[in-house]
Amino acid sequence: MATAGKKEKRVLWIISIPMAILALSCVYPVYFALNNALKDNRGYILDRFGLVQNPTFDNFVQAWTRSNLDTYFLNSVVTTVGAVALLLVVSSLAGFALAVLRFPMRRLIFIVILASLMIPVQVVLVPFYQTIIGLGLLNTRTGLIISYTAFFLPFSVYLMTSFYAGLPRELVEAARIDGAKLIQVWWYVMVPMGRPALITLGILNTLYCWNDVLISLLVLQDQRTLMVGIAALRGEYTTNVPLLSAGIVLAAAPIVILYIIFQRQIVSGIAVGAVKG
Amino acid sequence: MKKALLAGVGLSLLAASPALSQTITVWDWKSGDPVAMSYFDQAKAEFEEANPDVTINYVMQPNDQYYTILGTALASGAGPDVFLLNGGAQARARFEALTDLTDLSGDLVGLEEFQDEDGTVYALPISIQGFVVYYNKALYEQAGLDPETPPQTWDDLVAACEVVAEAGSAPCFTLGNREGFAGEFILSSLAASMLTEEQQQAFADGELAWSSPEVTAILETWVSTQDMGWYREGANSTSKFMDEYEQFMRGDAVHTIGLMSDIAHWKQFDDFLGAENVGVFRHPAPDMAFDEPRMPVSGGIGYGVNKDGDNVELATAFVEHLASAGPIQTFVNDAGVVPANTTVDTSGLSSPSVISILDWLEPYGVTTAHANVTAAELTEWQRQSQLLLNGDVTPAEAAARLDEVQAEARSDD
Amino acid sequence: MSATAARPATARPVRKPKKASYGSRAERRFAFLFVLPAVLLVLVFRIIPLIWGFFISLTDWSGLGEAEFIGIDNYAAMARDPNFQDSMVNTFVLLATLPVWIMLPMLLAILIHQGVPGGKLFRAVYFFPAVLSSVIVGSIFNVVLRFDGSFNALLGMVGIDAVDWLGNSSTALFSLIGVQLWATFGMSLLIFLAGLSTVSKEMLEAARLDGAKLWQIWIFVVIPSLRPIIEFVAVVTTIGVLTNMFGLIYVLTAGGPGTATTLPEFLIWLEQGRLNRPGYAAAISMVLFAFMGGIAYLQIRIMSRNANI
Repeated sequence: MATAGKKEKRVLWIISIPMAILALSCVYPVYFALNNALKDNRGYILDRFGLVQNPTFDNFVQAWTRSNLDTYFLNSVVTTVGAVALLLVVSSLAGFALAVLRFPMRRLIFIVILASLMIPVQVVLVPFYQTIIGLGLLNTRTGLIISYTAFFLPFSVYLMTSFYAGLPRELVEAARIDGAKLIQVWWYVMVPMGRPALITLGILNTLYCWNDVLISLLVLQDQRTLMVGIAALRGEYTTNVPLLSAGIVLAAAPIVILYIIFQRQIVSGIAVGAVKG
Repeated sequence: MKKALLAGVGLSLLAASPALSQTITVWDWKSGDPVAMSYFDQAKAEFEEANPDVTINYVMQPNDQYYTILGTALASGAGPDVFLLNGGAQARARFEALTDLTDLSGDLVGLEEFQDEDGTVYALPISIQGFVVYYNKALYEQAGLDPETPPQTWDDLVAACEVVAEAGSAPCFTLGNREGFAGEFILSSLAASMLTEEQQQAFADGELAWSSPEVTAILETWVSTQDMGWYREGANSTSKFMDEYEQFMRGDAVHTIGLMSDIAHWKQFDDFLGAENVGVFRHPAPDMAFDEPRMPVSGGIGYGVNKDGDNVELATAFVEHLASAGPIQTFVNDAGVVPANTTVDTSGLSSPSVISILDWLEPYGVTTAHANVTAAELTEWQRQSQLLLNGDVTPAEAAARLDEVQAEARSDD
Repeated sequence: MSATAARPATARPVRKPKKASYGSRAERRFAFLFVLPAVLLVLVFRIIPLIWGFFISLTDWSGLGEAEFIGIDNYAAMARDPNFQDSMVNTFVLLATLPVWIMLPMLLAILIHQGVPGGKLFRAVYFFPAVLSSVIVGSIFNVVLRFDGSFNALLGMVGIDAVDWLGNSSTALFSLIGVQLWATFGMSLLIFLAGLSTVSKEMLEAARLDGAKLWQIWIFVVIPSLRPIIEFVAVVTTIGVLTNMFGLIYVLTAGGPGTATTLPEFLIWLEQGRLNRPGYAAAISMVLFAFMGGIAYLQIRIMSRNANI
């Protein structure tokens, strides 16, 4: 980005104050969850906002055992990693074709994929479920990986298409005219250039898959994923907030830790993608 | 018939080959609840011991998506063998998928919510549920009220709330109506005493309109309690099962309309406030149809058997066991539910509150009005109760809207 | 202006394909091969179920057993249903706030990209609410926004009277929108940051040397070149607010008071899960689907003037 002048720098400093306040508010839920996860339910009811008095790790132990976190964890990791990998490959291929290549029915295909983004999930549950049963994918991790891919694909394809369409066209054209095989163009040109978008998609899709409850409830009934275990910690009418907080902290921890560890790589990955025009 | 025959053949085949093991899948939203766990574990252990080839597999579903998931599975012909249901509208909507369990229901009360018009029982209730008013005796004393003589009539209650208001430290009632549950509870509490048995039946059948003077009187009473200043502001953003009861347990409100089983009931309040500080009475009403207030009760939750399941007979046997005196006794002792099974011994319950409640059950109380109306009416009433509290509509307007929903819902039948 | 002159470097998301502009045979064959997995998955798991759902919407199906064909009765019932009408009114209110949903994360992304002090930290932290699920967010705001909550206490200090933000029919929807915006802006921010990385540095420096001010560069160079991404965020946010708010509605307001925060998505859940009318729920879904399609079409039309859909 263009470098800021002296006066402009001062303005940026002033702007950073409300941004810092916003950042504080975003840290608050983390504090809230951690702080309450250390309280017992009675302590929470008596004082919801105060700092924990007698910290207990009981909630973590309970959340761990009651929601079978050890066995569910593996299911979550396998299905999330599988689905995200599949999503990245399928959506960058499709985005490349839709944004760059010239072929008949491109418009129609793009519209169909875009339209499928708008289908309310409830309406497709029963036929979706029957398809899963029909394909013999019920209660398999493969089934869940394919389901996640199918559900989050329209969003991913759309993002990749938008991103590739925004790239300077000459780059792609040059690669194509070179007479390179298109699969090589994809791998050596489109994937590296698409890195910022692919990283973003990786983050968002990881989050979507990891946090999903509904699809996993249907497809993986006798094994379950982590978030389903956590969701089941909520009672019929009451929620034991400390217990649930502990569950959510446990479930969110891998994501947050990964995000923070790879923050530098993510930032530089996105920066590397910046093209010279 | 054919299916039953096939199932029978399948069973005898299995009996001949004991190496084959069977799994009964049970869906619920409760089996992970710590206070209920001993009940579920006992039922499973005993049944598996009696039937060595059988494994009971409880699958606990998140409550908010329970009926969505169940509906999807049943519609796809892949539902669980056994599933838990709320009495009333949710149970009725699934009779078509359930086996007839009438023959097993002899010892049970609270069956109305799990029965069709012909009296066929489709699920066995394990608990009964109802509403009473709990009060904080310490706060009674502070306000200058006698903690041992709770209000018996509407005038008593109005007078008590006036005294409480003068003392000024806590609101007379804590009220959580974010989901419309406070409206739901007050409807049943007031209807129990304000409608005659015939009127209750007519209301349940959709023949007594919401705009009738009798039902509108209930709506007006609800608004009048708000006008008398019984509640704190903000009831429509307060959740009943979290905020309202927590407020009562913190000692920050004098009364609350609570349950008699599951949660938000005497056991939970006793644990928090001390049994000696928790009092209970039946909700009085203006213009009562009876000499004294009546307690609304109904079947709480119950188990049904999927008639398209692979193991209907075994599943039926397990449901019979789930509702039988042995496991239910544990459920009563540990979770403090009021059992639907009349052969269960409740003499071990020592809390003064539950002793009063059990006493009022004889003879078996009035049905709960909210469980008898259609799901569409109940949902609309939850909305209208919020609008009434906010003063956005008048009782007459709310009743008119509810009449429309009532007429529409009944025309679908 | 030099910035506008530089714009042809960026392309529209989908160009109008002229007959003659189809690629070579190999290009066409590869292109089909590349989109095939995506098309198959979308067809099998989304489009065919959608068509099935459309048929369900023409029946009185209760979720079990036989369904009777009732034509457009469900759609006619919708026209009479005040709850559905209220949910559509709420939808329009929600859509009126869309510019904020797009501009706020875009502005923040530009600022972070520009190197605002603390930007790297903000970038990491703004994402937290999205990670922590609606239950935690809901539990917090339930207490913050209640009548005797901390927000009212804060307002009290500057002399503003307390409001029951979530319980009052006129404020509940806006409170809900505010919370959802706060909880999800981090995702759009991330997408904008990815988009910003494609903005040509040379172009910016050139504009700089022309003597353009920072804000001029943003408005005349950066934002125009972000157009495909802005369009993407606009469409995705529209769909997101109309299909992804169930979690927060469920924990924060349960659709009330009355129907004040009932959006079509919540109504679909109510009709299907609680009132056992999947046929009617499917009909509402179809209308919602068509509605979102219409809005997305308009957005893409506005955003890319010569787009071809």
